[in-house]
Amino acid sequence: MTATGVVMLIERGPRENMADLERHWASARTFAYVQEKSAAAAPWLSGIQEQIPAPYRENHFCLLTSGSTGAPKLVIGRKHNSEELARVLHRVQDSEPVRETIVSLPLTYCYAFVNQWLWSRVMHRRLVLTSGFAKAEIFREALRRADNAMICLVGPQAALLRNMFGAERFPGVIRLHFAGGRFPQEQLPALREMFPNAAIFNNYGCAEALPRLTLRRAEDGDAASDIGSPLPGVHLKSGPAGELLFRSPYRSVAQLDSHGFRQIAPHEWIPNGDLVRYEGNGRWQLVGRAGEVFKRYGEKIALQQVISTVNRQWSGQIGYYREKDAAGEDGYVLLLSPQPSEENLRGLMRVFRSSHPRTHWPLRIESAAVLPLNSNGKVDSLAAQSMEHRSLLWRQRI
Amino acid sequence: MTNTEKLKDLVVDVFLIDPKEFRVDLKREQIETWDSLGVVSLAVGVQETFGQHFTQDEAIGITGIPDVIKVLEARGISFDA
Repeated sequence: MTATGVVMLIERGPRENMADLERHWASARTFAYVQEKSAAAAPWLSGIQEQIPAPYRENHFCLLTSGSTGAPKLVIGRKHNSEELARVLHRVQDSEPVRETIVSLPLTYCYAFVNQWLWSRVMHRRLVLTSGFAKAEIFREALRRADNAMICLVGPQAALLRNMFGAERFPGVIRLHFAGGRFPQEQLPALREMFPNAAIFNNYGCAEALPRLTLRRAEDGDAASDIGSPLPGVHLKSGPAGELLFRSPYRSVAQLDSHGFRQIAPHEWIPNGDLVRYEGNGRWQLVGRAGEVFKRYGEKIALQQVISTVNRQWSGQIGYYREKDAAGEDGYVLLLSPQPSEENLRGLMRVFRSSHPRTHWPLRIESAAVLPLNSNGKVDSLAAQSMEHRSLLWRQRI
Repeated sequence: MTNTEKLKDLVVDVFLIDPKEFRVDLKREQIETWDSLGVVSLAVGVQETFGQHFTQDEAIGITGIPDVIKVLEARGISFDA
């Protein structure tokens, strides 16, 4: 490693590497902060020393995201810009009374990284680390002990709060932020009972924005799709197909993926895969996702990326169709033909387990003797969905 | 099928572990796919398989397979071979 090389910091769990994270942020040297599994899924990361040009090897940081195409992508941000965003967020989110922030998401997730870790560092507030709902008793204890706390959740966790903590109230939480998926508008009454002293915010953004674009106080809108108004300095517009394009002084300045390094020009309009509509008065509505990329429990899924994984293990026909789960979250059903052996199916499960988080797993795996094809030779998803004689091989229970 | 075999099938399905990895003393730290949605899936699966609903405190307190067995045994479901 050269003296100015990019340092890789692997996150293995809450409280792990925190001193290293602090040291790397304080150091001039650029570092990449990624989860262990994500690093394994992006083998090209091993070459970042050579691929990131010299001007970006100091005073920057890198986080891994799936990007609008679903392919792993390293977003590269300027430390100074993100620190400035933390100050802007502090001001516009009225965070001065907040004394601590309770982390329940991985810090490699740029929403938690900037909104919580970096904010706490810049504004000298306490950082309380938990594993979120994976160790719910610890998370609940942190909420019980909350002292003028801010928490940042992804939308689908609102339902988990009610499932896991029932009618318990957490008066020490005074700021409740949601991002990463649909804003839980319908659950606001329950959330206000659970967090009677909290101001609730919809925080819209994306990894490429590192991460924030807009802000809406919950009471300022009555639709989950209302993402509010751009943060100071951020500009939004919709493209010809209704796709969101943004400019932001806090965004990533460059990206690295399997195709190589790409600098983002200062005035470039950046797409993030969402479709939007301008509502007037500076406010924006989300309309949907472009293509086959969608979010499930806050995680972005690109079906083609998942199918590529399945293709590594399964040589038969592969099809899929979209379906929502019982909680109303988007998902998909995987179709295989012919019927795989027990050994084939286990192999496929091993690949899902090792290469994808649970949110990427199909709702069900079904098989049929033959899958219907379109005239272009591709599996006809619509016809496949209504086929009789499908066998259920495996299913998720949510 | 014994109750232990039923529980094994459920845990294998919910966490996508290999059947050979299953042990009745597995802790959540030993299953990397033990995440928040996995806990919810496990609770739904226990209801489907054993007809038993975890209370919120029970669901929160589960730190591994021994806790699942303990809760179910307290409801009269035996896991003896």
